[in-house]
Formats: sequence, C-alpha cells, structure tokens
Amino acid sequence: MNRLRAVLAVLAMLIVPASAAPLERAALAADLCGDGAAQARGSERVVQAATDASTDELAAAGRLLAALAERRLACGSEGALILDRAGAAEGHDALTGATRPVAEARAPVLGLRQRALVETARAAVALLTGESVAARAAGLATLERRAGAVPDTILARAQAAETDPGLRGSIAGAAQAAALSSPDPDKRRAAVAAVAAAPSGAALARLRALRSEPAAAADLAFAQALDVGIASVERAVRIGDGLAILYNGLSFASILFMAAAGLAIIFGLMGVINLAQGEFIMLGAYATFGVQEAFRRLAPSLLDLYLIAAIPVAFAAAALVGIVLEALVLRHLYRRPLMSLLATWAVSLFLVNLVRVAVGTQNLQFAMPPYVSGGAPLYADFVVTWNRLFAILFAAATLALTLLVLRRTPLGLDIRAVTQNRDMAACLGLPTRRIDRLAFGLGSGLAGLAGVALCPIYSVNPGMGSGFVIDAFMVVVLGGVGSLMGTLVAALGIGGANVLIEPLSGAVAAKVIVLVGIILFLQRRPEGLFAARRRR
Amino acid sequence: MSALVIDALTVAFGRFRALDALSLAVDPGEVRAVIGPNGAGKTTLLDVISGITKPVSGRVMLGDRLDLTRCSEAQIARAGVRRKFQKPSVFPVLTVRENLAIGCGPDMAPGAREARIAAVLGEVGLAVRAAVPAGALSHGEKQWLEIGMVLAAEPGLLLLDEPVAGLSDAETARTAELIGRLRRPDRAILVIEHDMGFVEAVADKVTVLHEGRTLYEGGMQGARRDARVIEVFLGR
Amino acid sequence: MSGAVHTGLAAPAHERRALRDPLVAVLVGLCLAAALGLVLGRPAPYLVNAVGQLAAFAILAVSLDLVWGYLGILSLGHGLFFAIGGYVCAMHLLAHGTVMTGTLPDFVQFMGWKGLPAYWAGLEHAPYALLLALGLAGLVAFLFGLVAFRSRVNGVYFSIISQALVYVAMLLMYRNDTGLGGNNGMTGFPLLFGWPMGAPAVVTGLAVAALLTLAAVLAGARWLVGSAVGRRMLACRDDETRLRTLGYSTTRLKLRVWCLSAMIAALAGILYVPQVGIINPRVLAPDLSIEIAVWVAIGGLGRLGGAVIGAVLVNALKFWLSAAMPEAWPFILSGLVLLVVLALPNGLLDLAGLRIRPSWASGAR
Repeated sequence: MNRLRAVLAVLAMLIVPASAAPLERAALAADLCGDGAAQARGSERVVQAATDASTDELAAAGRLLAALAERRLACGSEGALILDRAGAAEGHDALTGATRPVAEARAPVLGLRQRALVETARAAVALLTGESVAARAAGLATLERRAGAVPDTILARAQAAETDPGLRGSIAGAAQAAALSSPDPDKRRAAVAAVAAAPSGAALARLRALRSEPAAAADLAFAQALDVGIASVERAVRIGDGLAILYNGLSFASILFMAAAGLAIIFGLMGVINLAQGEFIMLGAYATFGVQEAFRRLAPSLLDLYLIAAIPVAFAAAALVGIVLEALVLRHLYRRPLMSLLATWAVSLFLVNLVRVAVGTQNLQFAMPPYVSGGAPLYADFVVTWNRLFAILFAAATLALTLLVLRRTPLGLDIRAVTQNRDMAACLGLPTRRIDRLAFGLGSGLAGLAGVALCPIYSVNPGMGSGFVIDAFMVVVLGGVGSLMGTLVAALGIGGANVLIEPLSGAVAAKVIVLVGIILFLQRRPEGLFAARRRR
Repeated sequence: MSALVIDALTVAFGRFRALDALSLAVDPGEVRAVIGPNGAGKTTLLDVISGITKPVSGRVMLGDRLDLTRCSEAQIARAGVRRKFQKPSVFPVLTVRENLAIGCGPDMAPGAREARIAAVLGEVGLAVRAAVPAGALSHGEKQWLEIGMVLAAEPGLLLLDEPVAGLSDAETARTAELIGRLRRPDRAILVIEHDMGFVEAVADKVTVLHEGRTLYEGGMQGARRDARVIEVFLGR
Repeated sequence: MSGAVHTGLAAPAHERRALRDPLVAVLVGLCLAAALGLVLGRPAPYLVNAVGQLAAFAILAVSLDLVWGYLGILSLGHGLFFAIGGYVCAMHLLAHGTVMTGTLPDFVQFMGWKGLPAYWAGLEHAPYALLLALGLAGLVAFLFGLVAFRSRVNGVYFSIISQALVYVAMLLMYRNDTGLGGNNGMTGFPLLFGWPMGAPAVVTGLAVAALLTLAAVLAGARWLVGSAVGRRMLACRDDETRLRTLGYSTTRLKLRVWCLSAMIAALAGILYVPQVGIINPRVLAPDLSIEIAVWVAIGGLGRLGGAVIGAVLVNALKFWLSAAMPEAWPFILSGLVLLVVLALPNGLLDLAGLRIRPSWASGAR
C-alpha cells in the first residue's frame, strides 16, 4: 500500500506545477520538526505557497509556525503536537486536532538563521489571514523588512483582499518596492512605469534610492527607465506642490475676502475704517465655540452640525455688536474719519480684553466634524483638504449672498445710493442714519462669518483678529473703496501673492513684497483697482 | 494769439462723458462767460484747465506754448492760471492777510508781496478785516477774499466758478464792478455763472455748454434769442 | 498756532495779538525748571528715570502732532522712526561698551558669532551714531513719503499703509539673523560715554538731556508753525487743492515736514532707549504707533502743548496703573479714548474752558 501511495504521490507531483505545491500540513509539520535545513525548507515552502494556498491552509500553517517560534511545538513519533503554552503536559495533534499527552515528544530547536525565515513566513500568513487590521499591518511591516525574500504575488494577493483602505495603500507601496527589486527585468520596468503613473514624493524618493544602487547602474536599460520615471515623477510632484500652493492661497484669499468685504462696504458707505473688524472675526469664532458647547451639552449626537448651526449665530452676534458700536459711538463721529479710526481702535482694545478677562487667553479647542477633517488626494502629493475647501465654498457663498443683498434687495439699493451720494440720498428721503447702522451690521456680520470659516484652520484666541486686520486693510486699499468686486480681486491677488512668495523667501519677505507692491501700485492708480472715478 | 485754446477735449467718468470733444478759444483781454444747465460740464472744464482732472483726449493750450493737460496743478498755477472755486475756498484758520500772502504764490519777493497784499486788500475792500481769521468772515467776505487771493499774483488767466453764488444783489453788483476793473489786455477771464444779469454785465462773449459740447458761442443777445439755447437752458 | 477767543464774531486786531497761545512758553519753562529741579533736588532715581521717559514720549508726541495737527497727515507708523532711533542708539551703546570693556554683547554670544556684525562698524562713535539714526529715519521717511505723497495717498489710506509699514518692520525685526537681537532685542547696555549706565549721575544726566531736548523741540516747533512755512502747513491741511492751485508744491512741503517729524521721533527714541535699558521689536507693534496718536488726540490735536500734556498724562497713568492694576489699564485707555473722541474733540484742553474754538479752528476730523 505504501508503495502505491508513493507512486501516486509522485504522479501527483508531476501533474501539479511545482511552485503551487499544496501546503500539506503533514509535510510542513515534519519539516518544522526536523533540523535547521528542514525548517528553512518548510518556511520557504509556506512563503512560496502563500500566493495560491487557501486561507484555511495558510491559517493552519500559521499556527504551526507560531507554535514553533513560541516553543509550543512538540515533535514525537506519532506526529507533531501544538501546545497551548510552552511546557504544557498535553497538546493538540497538528493534523487531526485530537488531544494527546506530550509524553516523549520534545520541542524542536529553532536556530537564529531559521528564526528569520519562520518570522517571514508567519508575517506572510498574518498579512493574508490576520483577523484585525493591526495584525495584518504588523505582518506587512515584517515583510517590508525582508522585501527581497518575498514574492510580489503575495503582496498582490494581500492588496486585492484587503478591506481597509489605509492598509491597502501601504500594501501597494510595499508591492511597488518589491516589484522594483524583482529579479525579472520586465517586471522591474513595469514597476517603474507603475510608480511613475502614481506619482508622489515618497515614490520619487524610492526611485531615486534605487537609481543610486549599483545594481541599477549595471543594467543600462533599467537605469534609463529609472531616469525617465524619475523625471516624470519629479514633474508631477512639482505640479502637485504648485497646486497645493494655489489651493492654500485660494483658501487664505477666501478668509481675507470675508474679512475685508465687510470693511469695504463700511468704508465705502461711511468712510469709517473699522479697526475693530478683526475683533468681529474673533467674536464670530467665539460664537462658533459657544454653539459647539451648546450642542455638546444639549444635543451631543448632533455635534457635527455645530459649524453649520454657527453660521447664523456668528453673523447675528457680530452684527449685533456692530450695530451697538455704530449706535453708541460712530454715529457721533460722522464725517470725522480719523477720529472714527481711533474710536474703533479703542473698541477693538476693549473687546480683546473683555474676551480675555471673560473667557481666557488660551486657544479654543474645536471638534473637527468629518466634513472638515482629512481630504481627498487629487494629484501627486496634493491633497484637497476639506477644511480649506469649506472656507473656499463658504466665501463663495458669502460673496453670492452679499451680491444678492446689495443688488436685489431694497436695503442693498439704499446702501449703494448712500455710498455714491449721501446728500442726494438724504434729500430723496432715505433714512441715511438707519442705513448706516444696518450696513455696519452687515459689514460686521460678514466678519463674523469669516470667524466661522477659519475655526477649522487657524487657532482661535482673543488676539487672533490682529493677524487679519492689516491684510484686510491692504485688500480694501488695493481693491478700491466700496467695491465688492475690487475686494474680491484684491483678496485673490494678495492671498495668492503671499502664498506664492512664502516658500521662496519666507512669510515675512512675502508680506514686505506684497506691501511694497501695493504702495507702488497705488502710485499709478491711487483710487485702487475698481473705485469709480468721481469728480472732486 | 489766443490766451487759451481748448482743443477737442474729452473727459469721461466711467462711461459718462462730462466733456465731449469740446473746443473753445479765449482771447487775451476778453471776459468769457460759460453758461449752461447743471451737468453740462462747466466745472469739469475748469477742473481740466486747472489740472485737477486729466482728460481722456484733447489739449488745453495756454498762450500757444504750454499744454496744460501735461502739467501738475502747481505748475499750471505758476504759469499764471488762477481759479476761484465754486465753494469759497479760503484757509479758515489763517487771517485775511495770511490768506492773501499765500495767494501771492511762492515766487514773489517779500517786499513786493507786502505791497501787493496792501493793494489787493484795497481792491476787494477787506483792508479793515485784515487781521481776522478767514473762518470768521461772512459768506460774501469769503468770496471776495478768495477773489483777492487769486488776484494777488496777477494771473494771466483767471477762472471764476460762480463768483456771485449766494451773494445779495448789492454784493453781486459790487462783484460785477470788481471784475470789470480786473480787465487787462494781457489777461483772459473765464466766468461760470447762472445769474444771467451778472453775465450780461461782465461778459464780452458767452459760450453755452450742453452735455459736454458747445451749443452756442457769441454775444449774450444772440444767446437769448437762439432757439436751442432757450429750449435747453434759458426758458421763455 | 495762535489760538483766540472765537465766538463767531471778529476780534479786533490788537486783541488777537495779545491772545497768542502761551501754553508752549509755559511748558518750555516747566521743562527747564524740572531739569534744574532734577539736578539740584536729587529725587529718587526711579522718579528721575520716569520723568526722563515721559519727556522722551512727549518729544515723540510733538513729532506726530506736527504732521497730524498741522498737516492733517495721521501717521499710524511713527513707532518706526522711534524704533530706528532707538535701535541705532542701542547699537552705539553696545558697540561702545564692547570697545571699552572688551566683552561682546549677550545677543552676539547667543547667536554664536565671533564679533559684532560688519555693518556695526563705527557705531562706537557717538556723533556717527547720531547722524546715522537721524539720517536713516529721514531716509526711510523720505522714501515712504515720496511714494505716498506723489500718488496723492491721503487720509485714512495713508494711516492704514503706515500701519502696514510698521507691522512689516516688526516682522522683520523679529527674525533672529538680522544682527539686531531678534525677538529678544538688545539690552544690557554697560556704558554711556564711558560712564556706567546705572549710576545716578547718568540717570539724572539722561533725564535732563531729555527735558532740555523737549524744550528745544517745543521751541523749534513753535517757531516753525508760527512762520510762513507753518501758515502753509495749515493751508495744506485745510485745503490742499486750493494751495496747489495757487502754485505751491504740496508734495514738497509735506515731504519736508514729514522727514523732519521722523527725525524728531528718532531723537525721542535715542533718548528713550538708554533710560529704559532695552529695545526689542515690541516697540514696533502697530498698537503702540496708534497709542502715540491717542496721546496727541487726548491732549489736544493741533496744539503743541496739548501733545505734550497728552503724552505725559497717558503715560504717567499707564506707569501708575501697570503697577497697581495692570488688568484695568486697557479698559481705562479705551474708555479714555472714547471719551475724548466723542465728547472732547479738541482733547482735554477743552476741559480747561479757557478757549472755545469753532469747528473750523481745530484739525480734529
């Protein structure tokens, strides 16, 4: 009978391709119980079979390997036993699972050299069959350290089977690295092309590292392929970085626009430069915090909506304070722009210190709802972060609404009329003082909205307003008095210029250059970009 | 040689054309009145001549040599052009005397300045108020002070923007008489006014502006009879 | 500027002459008397030091009043010129100290440099340092003013841009590689003309110097605003177009007075820094430049004496309150500003009740 079995086994081995040798548990157990060479062979076989073997087979192999590594394997004449812990009296048969006493079975010795191979095999099994993401990630980490010894097919299989997107990405990266070092030159070239097709800073580093290896120098065709790939990835990374800069500039410009739009309306209407505008932004941010805390206390399940709910609250809060300011202080400073400036400065000082005393100087902590955390990778290393997108969309909506109010509502018409010719408007019966008050409220409210938009991006504390105020002034001065379009263009220009120059010369130089640019521009066109030409 | 030649002057504020290819010539020694309905471009014309507004196209030649559209306000003033503004523009915190001293301009020698101030004080009748801050003067006195300021440097081209606005009949007559005394063969005077009686009393010729263009140019009698002028401006 | 009793009626000439504003003369006298008092009376050093600092601030306020009250230019960046004077003075003191004592200043050792940066050369000589401070302030003012005045940037636009200018200067000074101390600034001045800085004689000497300079600046400014140039300044403030159309180059006038004002502000900085013992970029904070305008507004815009009174009053209050109730100071300051702006358009001197000035007589706008 044994001879027949042996003949059949040989026939079977002839029919089935050698590389897809099934993970026969018995053979594996025998190998692991053998000497160092046998253990190495067994581990190697597991690795080679990992690509095609079934999950169950792999799991079983994994248990054997784990037992060996943890000295829980007992080998005897009746077969291998897996113990629950080292030194236990009885264990489970490796093949049948039946419980048996250990008796004279002894644990095989695992040499250092073999240990590495066993760990690799275990890692491969863990990657493919691990129960948790953490277990699979651990397996991947181990495999990456021994990338050369691992067939890339394992990684391909793991990648295909992986459910967690983050881990899948990591597996893809490891597969890439493995493919790049594949012994098959065609596979290597294909890998380079694949890397070039999915460019990123990390990919570039990997390609560059490979390029500097002597093996690459030896294979000319491969070296050339690498150079081409590196050039293409470099270009893509540069484009991606450029896009990131533009994106950041756009988001900065959005915040600037919201901060400056209110300033432009107020200045165009009343000739008042509101030095407290930064503090209205701060009030908007603090109102947002208040809404968050209210949600936390009253409706914690809806916490993620606090940003949306804060929009009308921040607008109303800032507008209210603005109207009070206008009624109490600015009303008396009609036609005295320089004194109004000092008065609004005093109010800004007051507000900052009021908040400082009432709430404290620490940065406020904001919860980050999912729609403003993370982002979507778009191109190379450029990620469209949701918090900045929120700011941009918010500013666009603000622009649209403000235009709507100014162009389509009676209040907007009144504001435009009083801006262009106050005396005539008054003669026509428009209540100019009331319009001033409402417009000031509108302008302050817009600043409050800016406060909402920047909570996910910038730090919020009592003194935060001063960082935006100077830039907002520059936007108003450049864009032209009272012109919303001018404010928009100027905000884009200044925001963009700031962000473009910053990586080249630093943030300070950017501000200096932008300021000098504005002054020189005003030299040629003192009324700003869009101001209407008027008679003296 | 003309004292002032305006050649196809166009001034635009946005899409609105305040002056539309306007042409005009004033001889030395002449008193020209520029009249027209509100918004016709009269004050804008003076703004361009005195350099406050720059035109889109066209030239303003002072005495055949100098194109005023290329000069700054100070340069134009030093070329001998003086303008009296519609709203009395005196320096309220300075005394009458100090106002006149500034009116003499930066180029006058101190000795000549004193003499000139005395002369002008006499001409405009403010000698008794010489040490009073201009802000304390009555409206009529302010108008005369400003006239005195623009006379102090003996300008070759005098631009008067509504010199009798807000004056009583007596004051208006006094002003008409003053302007008559200002005539000199080397001086051209351009007056913008709405008071037709005053215009008739002082002006040699009249230019009627309408929507930035010349509607009529000639004597006051002719203007009163011209159908278009009547329709646009004078009424029946 | 001559004030007079104006109730809307004309005052006879002889009456006007007699009512020339005596405030400046009184203040000059006070400065001289105070200087004498400090030398003879030997009050406590901290008091002497306080008086000296107040004098320096008063000089700064006068410099701003010159361009604001008399030319109508509200600069919210005068801290820049003050800082230029202060920084150059600090450099001189440290260079002088290095030469005399042989040890390098702290911030040089902190940066790990072997010696003072190259452009410090020559600063141990006081006359050169003085010239450099005034010259640099004048130059910066000239360049900025040229661009601003030529492009007819006026009113609030100018104020905003001057704020931006001082803000940017502050950002520049915060960098640690400028050789000017970075965000820690420069301190630890050892010697003044060879004398140790803390010595009572030096403290008194500095305070007396500040008082005498204040007296000189006041007298000089008074002379300037009373002269023909002063008349033109007022004319330019009230109706620049009118002045231009009378043949005057207002750009040149503004530029000259603007540069003079900058140099006076730098002088104030030179006197301030040795007395306070430190300079750092916080002197360039935009808020501080606005405070200078607040001093002038509170004391009385367009009256040189008012600027001095405002500076002394506000800073004395600040000194006192910073020790007693530091939390309250910002509230008190903002309340004071609002009070003055709303109720006292001509500053605290309105309370004096001596003069009732009509709206056109002051520069308050």
